Amino acid sequence: MMRLDAVVALFPDLDAVELSAWIERRWVRPDQASGNGWVFTEIDIARVRLVRDLRHEMDIAEDTIPLVLALMDQVYDLRRTLAAMARAIEDQPPDIRDAVLAALRRG
Amino acid sequence: MKDPYETLGVDRTASEAAIRSAYRKLAKRHHPDLNPGKPEAADAFKDIANAYALLSDADKRARFDRGEIDASGAEVAPERPFYRDFNDAARHARYGAGPEFDPDDLESLFGHAFRDQFSRGSAMRGADAHYTLTVDFLDAANGAVRRLTLPDGRTLDVTIPAGHRDGQVLRLKGQGMPGIGGGPPGDALIAVAVRPHKLFRRDGNDIVLELPVTLQEAVLGAKVEVPTIKGPVSLRIPAKSTTGKRLMLRGRGIVGGHQYVDLKVMTPTQDEPELAAFLEGWKPRHRFNPRGGLP
Repeated sequence: MMRLDAVVALFPDLDAVELSAWIERRWVRPDQASGNGWVFTEIDIARVRLVRDLRHEMDIAEDTIPLVLALMDQVYDLRRTLAAMARAIEDQPPDIRDAVLAALRRG
Repeated sequence: MKDPYETLGVDRTASEAAIRSAYRKLAKRHHPDLNPGKPEAADAFKDIANAYALLSDADKRARFDRGEIDASGAEVAPERPFYRDFNDAARHARYGAGPEFDPDDLESLFGHAFRDQFSRGSAMRGADAHYTLTVDFLDAANGAVRRLTLPDGRTLDVTIPAGHRDGQVLRLKGQGMPGIGGGPPGDALIAVAVRPHKLFRRDGNDIVLELPVTLQEAVLGAKVEVPTIKGPVSLRIPAKSTTGKRLMLRGRGIVGGHQYVDLKVMTPTQDEPELAAFLEGWKPRHRFNPRGGLP
């Protein structure tokens, strides 16, 4: 759990104004702190790191970021769904599991 | 440790701008968060970041070119967590693109894949056969048995369950193509379309009917006969009803749903001199402006 200024301090090329703009655009979604300001969990900080990479390292245009994030979020959702699927298959009796895996390999 | 110029794919005389551009191109391709399914992306990205850290620093680059430091001596990219490491349901929920776990989505993704798998190659099970059937609105609402004649002359009795929805697919186990090598037959999949009804409209399990009533029935109240999907019933229209008033026939919809009756007042279109004379002399007791809400 970190406050906004602590998160900003992690990155030499990020200031509070830019990070606040990201929050406003919902690229990063920390929790509202009980007083005021924001509380960042570790996934929020990883998200900040990612957006920073996209903007500052890869120089991706500001208006392209929502597209990138939306597609990424869909990929991650799909991967979670697939993982759930894999776990469900894992839990099946061996013959069903083998049949599913064999069918997948044939594909 | 690989040569940083080689890692970025630039030659030793490359300008700062060329190095930056090569780095950006590679970073886009290898960023671990953009490659959640490729564990090796983390190493590739680290090499790229290290190479860029060295070559983007003019001082370090010059020392490397003179052989004073080697590529590993400049390894600065620290171990860092990536966004993709947090892709478990609990933590990721806030960045999800849609509902957390959508079984329908899963089914549409896998339904086809799985069906096709079973009907391909040396699969023992017969292929599924696809048919379409159109039934009347009331058959779909109340349930019915309909006979389907197949291209090969066989007939299938298809039981339409009460409340069947337009386009819903029924699966008849074992009624598809015969199995191969002693395997079981496939299923018959029947997409059942529903013809619209000229009176009834469906809203979930509720039925909506627009009922024309006369001026007298609307003003004075009346008992009228109303069609429902199971035959006519009698309905009391309260006095002082108007167009758009909705009455409910409890339990007269589809499997436990209701029927809603929307009243529509029909005024006479023939000559009615008495009515006209009355209206000319009529002063309403209550101010009433039906267009009051219009701009």
